[in-house]
Amino acid sequence: MRYRLPAGSNLSRANRFPAPHVALAVVVACCWFSGSAVARADEPVDFNRQIRPIFARHCIACHGGVTRSGGMSFLYPETVLPPGDAVVVPGKPEESELFRRITSTDPDYRMPPPEKGDGLREEEIELIRRWIAQGARWAPHWAYVPPQRPPYPKLSLTAWPQQPLDVYVLAQLERMGLSPASEASRLQWLRRVSFDLTGLPPEEELVRAFLSDERPDAHSRVVDRLLASPRYGERWASPWLDLARYADSQGYEKDNLRTMWPYRDWVIRAFNADLPFDLFTIKQLAGDLLPDATLEDILATAFHRNTPTNAEGGTDDEEFRLVAVIDRVNTTWEVWQGITFNCVQCHNHPYNPIEHRDYYRFLALFNTTRDWDLRNDKPLLQVPRDRKRFAEARKLDRERYRLELEQVTETRQLAAATPWHYLRPVHAVSTGLTELVVKQDSQGVPEIHTAGTVSHDSRFDLHFELPDGMQRITALLVEVLPRDPRKAVHTPELGFEISELKAELLVRVTEGGQTKQEHRSVRLAWALGDETVPFDDPQATLNPDKWGWGANPRMCHVRRLVVVPAEPIELPDGHVRLRLVIRQEAAPHDLAPLVMNRSRYAVTDAPLWTDYVRSSAFRERQRRLADLRRQRRAIASVGVPVMMEQDPWLRRVTAVFRRGDWRDKTDVVEPGLPAMFRVPDQPQDRLGLARWLVSEDNPLTARVTVNRFWQELFGVGIVETSGDFTLSGQPPVNQPLLDYLAVRFARDYRWSMKRLLREIVLSATYRQSARVEDDKLAVDPQNRYLSRGPRLRLTAEMVRDNALAVSGLLSTKMFGKPVMPPQPEGIWRAARSSLRWKTDTGADRYRRGVYVIWRRSSPYPSFMIFDAPQRLVCSSRRVATNTPLQALVTLNDQAYIECAVALADWMLQLPVTEPRARIAAAYRRATGRAADEQVLRTLLHVYRVARATYEKEPELARQLAGSAERSALALVANTILNLDEILNR
Amino acid sequence: MRSVDRLHGEVREYLALQTRRHFLRSGLACLGGLWLLEQGIVAAPRREQQSVDPLAARSPHFRPRAKYVIHLHMTGAPSHLELFDYKPALVKYNGKDCPKEYLEGRRFAFITGVPQLLGPLYPFHQDPKTGIWISDRLPEFEKQLDKVCIIKSMRSNQFNHAPAQLLILTGNTNLGYPSIGAWTLYGLGSENRDLPGYVVLLSGGQNPDAGKAAWGSGFLPSIYQGVQCRSKGDPVLFLSNPPGINRKLRGKTIEAIRQINERTYRELGDREILTRIAQYEMAFRMQISATEAMDITQEPDYIHKMYGTKPGQESFANNCLLARRLIERGVRYVQLFDWGWDHHSGLDTAFPKKCQQIDRPIAALLKDLDQRGLLDETLVIWGGEFGRTPMQENRGGMKAKSPGRDHHIDAFTIWMAGAGIKGGMTYGETDEIGFSVVKDPVSIHDLHATILYLLGLDHRKLSFFFQGLDQTLTGVAEPSRVVHEIIG
Repeated sequence: MRYRLPAGSNLSRANRFPAPHVALAVVVACCWFSGSAVARADEPVDFNRQIRPIFARHCIACHGGVTRSGGMSFLYPETVLPPGDAVVVPGKPEESELFRRITSTDPDYRMPPPEKGDGLREEEIELIRRWIAQGARWAPHWAYVPPQRPPYPKLSLTAWPQQPLDVYVLAQLERMGLSPASEASRLQWLRRVSFDLTGLPPEEELVRAFLSDERPDAHSRVVDRLLASPRYGERWASPWLDLARYADSQGYEKDNLRTMWPYRDWVIRAFNADLPFDLFTIKQLAGDLLPDATLEDILATAFHRNTPTNAEGGTDDEEFRLVAVIDRVNTTWEVWQGITFNCVQCHNHPYNPIEHRDYYRFLALFNTTRDWDLRNDKPLLQVPRDRKRFAEARKLDRERYRLELEQVTETRQLAAATPWHYLRPVHAVSTGLTELVVKQDSQGVPEIHTAGTVSHDSRFDLHFELPDGMQRITALLVEVLPRDPRKAVHTPELGFEISELKAELLVRVTEGGQTKQEHRSVRLAWALGDETVPFDDPQATLNPDKWGWGANPRMCHVRRLVVVPAEPIELPDGHVRLRLVIRQEAAPHDLAPLVMNRSRYAVTDAPLWTDYVRSSAFRERQRRLADLRRQRRAIASVGVPVMMEQDPWLRRVTAVFRRGDWRDKTDVVEPGLPAMFRVPDQPQDRLGLARWLVSEDNPLTARVTVNRFWQELFGVGIVETSGDFTLSGQPPVNQPLLDYLAVRFARDYRWSMKRLLREIVLSATYRQSARVEDDKLAVDPQNRYLSRGPRLRLTAEMVRDNALAVSGLLSTKMFGKPVMPPQPEGIWRAARSSLRWKTDTGADRYRRGVYVIWRRSSPYPSFMIFDAPQRLVCSSRRVATNTPLQALVTLNDQAYIECAVALADWMLQLPVTEPRARIAAAYRRATGRAADEQVLRTLLHVYRVARATYEKEPELARQLAGSAERSALALVANTILNLDEILNR
Repeated sequence: MRSVDRLHGEVREYLALQTRRHFLRSGLACLGGLWLLEQGIVAAPRREQQSVDPLAARSPHFRPRAKYVIHLHMTGAPSHLELFDYKPALVKYNGKDCPKEYLEGRRFAFITGVPQLLGPLYPFHQDPKTGIWISDRLPEFEKQLDKVCIIKSMRSNQFNHAPAQLLILTGNTNLGYPSIGAWTLYGLGSENRDLPGYVVLLSGGQNPDAGKAAWGSGFLPSIYQGVQCRSKGDPVLFLSNPPGINRKLRGKTIEAIRQINERTYRELGDREILTRIAQYEMAFRMQISATEAMDITQEPDYIHKMYGTKPGQESFANNCLLARRLIERGVRYVQLFDWGWDHHSGLDTAFPKKCQQIDRPIAALLKDLDQRGLLDETLVIWGGEFGRTPMQENRGGMKAKSPGRDHHIDAFTIWMAGAGIKGGMTYGETDEIGFSVVKDPVSIHDLHATILYLLGLDHRKLSFFFQGLDQTLTGVAEPSRVVHEIIG
């Protein structure tokens, strides 16, 4: 066995092979690779590989997760094997009902029933018989058993492997009677690896250096250099952003832009820094919950805020909040577990032992964040424009949160300890069509309810009697209740927001025998809310603006505001009433009026509130909070939507939706993982979930992740259905290879994505020539067994980046707000939107594809044509198509014509002047290799015809590039940039 | 172009096969093709080395009535109560509070509390030929009623534009599902390979609320998505040669690309290269054929008069004429969107203008298709994403200044014509104020099942395996039915 360790590399230790257990390996390898359904009679039957697919094909439509005819499900051993109502008697096929039924000729007894499908084939029946005879051993689906390092296979071509993974590829090739292809030329490999690692062609200087580098580790030097390039993160961000459904806009209708790009930059930086995949996972799913979360940790949680926001007028914010939460649930499962969880929204999983209830337990983990499909996408993290100020900003935020938590906690405690006197309204009217009705709750507490049509901008005018004998008021309590508090905890009611609350005393005075009512206004000093870091400042309730304390847009719980005057309000003797004028003008996000539908009011004369607001601790805290807000505002920042948990006392409760319908709820559930995966000792929150995903107990994360890397490099994953690892997906074409890579990645490489990629691109498998040999086609038409090297069309972003790089236009400026390169007129015309495309000039015009603005309703058209997804939902795989519309892009798009002209200019500034030499140089620049005679002749012919045409028609030349020479060269460049070898890696 | 060697012969054969809509012989199957195979949409080719062209025309499940579809979507949802669903009772109750039983447990987009009923703003009369009641807003269309079946009993379950448009166009209210045109192309392929098989035409200045997802391919391969053809600029994006490159020079570059790509093929044996060669040549032909198809100046005067078309404009009339030209050339599915039908107010001002804009073109389209013998095999569908409330809008709990209606899901009207649809009939009924369906309800999925049926496709069988399910246009939640009663 031969493999090369990079000299002096810190990877050497990890690159070492596992100790080979050769003797065992031979036996196990036979089992692993025995693919055919029927083997010899004495050979043990493999439940997962041989029996489960039979159940899946013939039985689970009626006896599965959704339908369990006769209470029988072939997903669960409990209903198949003893004890219990077993249909199988282990060891005794003839006594097993299952066997009797599949072999019966009685149409009423036979399974499957004739009208439901054909019976089992003979070999399937024989397999079932042998499986039962051998003891009917059940095994969980392969993907639910954590991967183990597979035993070392027996090989004949022992000189071929370069990396450990190669032995597993080779073992399969040998079993299939295939042999590996010869090694690709250095140039072919270099071009392939350069695109795969950095998304760009190799620089000319790198090509030269590598082709003449005779050191044994020349390949690994190139790989290390490419992995260290900042271009690496830009290339690998794209597939991750497909999964994250990253876009720069909200998605629905007007499809307004939002600031998500700091998250995109976070992803690029994470790749470049080789943030291990376990941390990469934890930060994106639960960075906000980490004990010492940094600003970047919180920024990472924008991952799940990439869900579309529906800002269309008249949409129900709760409905689309739930759409987003469901998307988060489904995306989490697809990205990390390769399990389609969607079906469980409505019923038990048809193919997997996951129950309907499990879905909602899991959903509950995501159901307590503060976002609510708001047009402004709140909550937002203010991300400083200057990264150097991240730490400072985070420090301020932390302190602010700590102080606000103290404040809210004290307010709530004091409010609970206060002897409140609930007030009886004697007058309650509203502006608009809103009617106010006074009711009493079961304890006789007077409440004000709305009735009839509730108008926006309702202003309440409320007059209250005051308790007899009360001398002064030290605080006022505003309590807003859901109409149905029990139901509201899981099915929130419309919220409210108080723009301004004003109080005055109505004093009856008698002067000169005349009685009149005097209005004496009352100065209120403090409005103390019940929520930390609320969207709008409760103190603004005392200002004449539109914003204030409230529950916008929905409420689940009773909400309380305590309003405190600076000095107690002394009540004059005689007839005194309290008047409250409450404006409610906050613009709602979904057009439901933000008006209190059920509220009650109380006052107290207890001195504790006066003492409290006079206390130096309180005043100091308020001063400090004001300082903090001011200091934080002084740090220039952009607001990015992130995950933020609700205060524990304001949290939503989750209930199961009947048949997936959010309007129809049944039992309340606690957050948690599905029963089949449940792990003790993990906190049942997002952080616990994230940690479980990357724990050793998790059977899927590493496999699913290495499979995606494989898919990016080889076009198809080892499991072809990279988003579905369950029974309904394709089985792995080479499970030992998959398991080896998974163990290697998670354990040996400690989740380092760069080290994983390094091993793959240095492997003999990857280094093979891509030439398609006719004799292999019959066995391996799609190259699933990897009997040749990969040759893939460039991705949408690469097509663009490559043309820019070859023509010398590419700007390597990194990060920042998205750019608008040329696109045809009239692409942006989203409904009810006036956003305009403004084509960038200067360097921004030529930035890499990853920075091009992604508006969901009308993404960059050439990317769409080259198979980029729309990023509306999580996308696991781009299927490359080959269409005439793609040809039109690279032939005619202005962006590509600019590249052609730039490449012509590059030719013109060469020291050579011969057209032939110029064209040869351009071809070499574009492909990395020398043009042969035929290619040169062909391109020269284009040049000559073009040159002659442009000389005859100078106007035509002027339109393309000016002079006849420049235009003719531009046409040649346009030809080169459309060659198949340019469009492939 | 001359045949240079054996290889070129193979390329020719490939192209010939493609245009003859056969499966083609290719070593490395193009992925889209393999997907089709896996989905069981196409029969397995004879040998393992063969692959399929994902856009090749395919036989339907059974004898089709329609080969082509023209879908006229009125974005924003036109009022059924001002056009097709005559409600004398609503005239009587105009201005009265809407009875409580209609409101309880219902939520509207903008209406809150207790709104007032709003009588139809325009008079209705009975068409003497067919006996169908219709308002006076579509005088030209009225003359074609003998070709049309009006369905008054449509129901939706989404009262916001974007989700409702997604539902009617993709069968699902969430983003990420294939549009009905994509399903059709996936099921039947395309007859004209020099034009996109699924074309989208927009008028009214804005995209539908659902954006590009309204003609997207969802989880189907992106090759099945609709291609937007435009009245301004290139009819198909990037179709025309850039300034300074004429057709002769473009021909030279395509020829050079072919020659060099053939050499690459000899070197690597990757049959995807042959596909690319073919696609470049198809692009070259498409430059002519698509430009020609989209050029309505070629039409005679009487046609322009009939449709009310003015070349060079972006108008619904032009798009109707284009739809006919595209269908004539074998385009499978033509989807029109006309923006501007969301009449929360302006039923008295903006609405009649919109009616005027569509009246003549639609009448002309039906007549023209009929005269050309195309109506027999072309299904024409007209409608919005939902209906409008019998109540006057009272947004924000205020009285509206101009008469308008809110979004309404419990009843709305669409019509269909051609391809075996019974003309001169109405189907389904609503209650006395047009609020709810009381007879022969048709769900959106029933409509989809019916459209697929007319195309010769079984909505339960036209499926694509995705996320653990055989996904269909009509979904699994509730059974859908083909509305056989409207098919002759």
